[in-house]
Amino acid sequence: MTLAAQSVTTTARDGREVTYRDAIRDAMVEELERDPSVFLIGEDLRDPWGGAYKTTVNVSAVFGNDRVINTPIAEESIVGAALGAALSGLRPVAELQYLDFVMRAMDAVVNQVAKVRYMSGGQAKVPLVIRAQGGGGRSSAAQHGNSLEAWLCHVPGLFIAHPATPYDAKGLLKTAIRLDDPVFFIEHKMLYMTKGFVPEDDYTIPFGVADIKRRGTDVTIVANSRMVLYALDAAETLATEGISAEVIDPRTLVPLDEATILESVAKTNHLVVVNEGVERCGWAAEVAAMVQKRAFSDLDAPIERVCTRNVPLPFQPDLENYVLPSVDDIIAAVKTSLYIS
Amino acid sequence: MMTRIRLFERAAYELYTAGKLPGFLHLSIGQEAVSTGACAALRHDDYMASTHRGHGDTLAKGVSVESAMAELFGRVTGACRAKGGSMHIADFSQGILGANGIIAAGIPIAVGAALSARLRKTDQVALAFFGDGATGSGPLHEGMNMSMLWRLPMIFVRQNNRYAESTPLAEHTGIVDIVQWACGYGMPAVRVDGNNVTEVYAAVAMAADRARAGEGPTFIECETYRHYGHNIGDPGTARPKDEVDDWKARDPLQSHRTRILESGLATETELSAIEAEERAKLDAAIAAAEAAPKPDLHEALEGLYVDEALGRMAIQGVRS
Repeated sequence: MTLAAQSVTTTARDGREVTYRDAIRDAMVEELERDPSVFLIGEDLRDPWGGAYKTTVNVSAVFGNDRVINTPIAEESIVGAALGAALSGLRPVAELQYLDFVMRAMDAVVNQVAKVRYMSGGQAKVPLVIRAQGGGGRSSAAQHGNSLEAWLCHVPGLFIAHPATPYDAKGLLKTAIRLDDPVFFIEHKMLYMTKGFVPEDDYTIPFGVADIKRRGTDVTIVANSRMVLYALDAAETLATEGISAEVIDPRTLVPLDEATILESVAKTNHLVVVNEGVERCGWAAEVAAMVQKRAFSDLDAPIERVCTRNVPLPFQPDLENYVLPSVDDIIAAVKTSLYIS
Repeated sequence: MMTRIRLFERAAYELYTAGKLPGFLHLSIGQEAVSTGACAALRHDDYMASTHRGHGDTLAKGVSVESAMAELFGRVTGACRAKGGSMHIADFSQGILGANGIIAAGIPIAVGAALSARLRKTDQVALAFFGDGATGSGPLHEGMNMSMLWRLPMIFVRQNNRYAESTPLAEHTGIVDIVQWACGYGMPAVRVDGNNVTEVYAAVAMAADRARAGEGPTFIECETYRHYGHNIGDPGTARPKDEVDDWKARDPLQSHRTRILESGLATETELSAIEAEERAKLDAAIAAAEAAPKPDLHEALEGLYVDEALGRMAIQGVRS
């Protein structure tokens, strides 16, 4: 097994405390400043509105309307036009207001953006970022709270970033904008107001490098996006019961830092995968399949999955909480994995 | 150019029938005047997005006969290193944003290239070809709205060959007067005889001038016909024989030849020499393609991402 190159916790402990929302905004602002070929395109981005989730507040006011383009509500053409711009010398950052709306743009994302380089025999270069926020937790019901990362991971040709913290969001978004390949950058609506430290200076985070958010020895919890915070809460509670959980945040789902996960499982021999997408054919299944194939002999228990139940998200808050993964679900899954009743 | 396209596609038909070409084959024979006239009115650095029926469009915009033919053969010397095939021929060095297997999908891409030209403050224009079959699809309407909204240097060229696969125009589009419909977007629109290469050229040249002058997009309706069926497996017999014969009698190559001879622009001998030259070029391209190697199998796992290290990790699941 390959040793993980960078398995140390890289979450900043100093610098400036900012929200996840401002970290994302700052990444875009700094890249707009750094590179004149970068521009933003999407619905309702310009001031004074500044985006449905306010990630572009005071950006058009500073950079002008040629760097921040408001579009009609036409997701296929937002992505398609961003692709055309990427193929002709610019570096667009396109925003879909809700990850759910990617369904309106699926041909552009899957058949065009992801494939044009391959289909053209490596001629095309697609320096394009598509940002969207997904996830449940605010009664947004079945059409505004989907976690569709597994669909996107299923598409060869995209990189998928799925950050949980302000530090990761900013560093990964800067990397995404600077890469010459298309990146789907998935934010979470319930994380925008969470806070964390980011360095004052310019920094980037490499893709394909997981972050161990908490060290532990008894069980490995792999989680992404908002579920990282849930996993950390679960680990805190488990610690009071004498159970030491290691929490791994892959940060990018494609490429996936398999080595860090495998190294942790080799140590703990127990794995719980947490993902907010529905369970069936989901991202957790992919991680589980990878680990059982490559580290079967390291496992002392079946791999546990904690995901959303296989139904659309209901509107009513109690029902929504019931179908979404919870901290208690993670704790229960860890105990199942450790044969603790 | 029309001769080049005609010879290329006839050869493709024969090679395919002889079992030498894999995949799909959608011929544009009969529509050469649209591809040729439109692309002749564009500059080398202008952008063009085409369709699944894109041999003519891409040849006209500058892909070489050699690389297009090698692509059909699935050879490593092909325009797309044998990764794309007939429906995906592209040459970005010629401003070709790609043929496209999905109806109307090239339109937003062309719109984006036009937006990019404006943002970069160049005077490039972008042209999207699409068939009548795309008329009812979302991306066309979205693209026309966006282009008008932003006054983009866009040219919409409808290659109206009267059939969406097998479905006649009257069964798939409720709009009787497409020019009037385009005008509904506030977009200048014109109808031309798509079998008359000089008419198509003039319309696109005027549209390109408008676009470069910052006057926004233009819609050009080109009435034409494909002599063959939808694809190689379709004998084309779903269409009335009289209609097919009538359109074949209005062959764009024949009529242009007649016009040239009548106007004294060239002699019979000169035209025959051009045709012989194109035929020789094509024969050489076919021979070269047949002799060229197929791609090595490892190429199937390459060329997806620019960042090769991350790409290997994404494809093969291991950190390099």
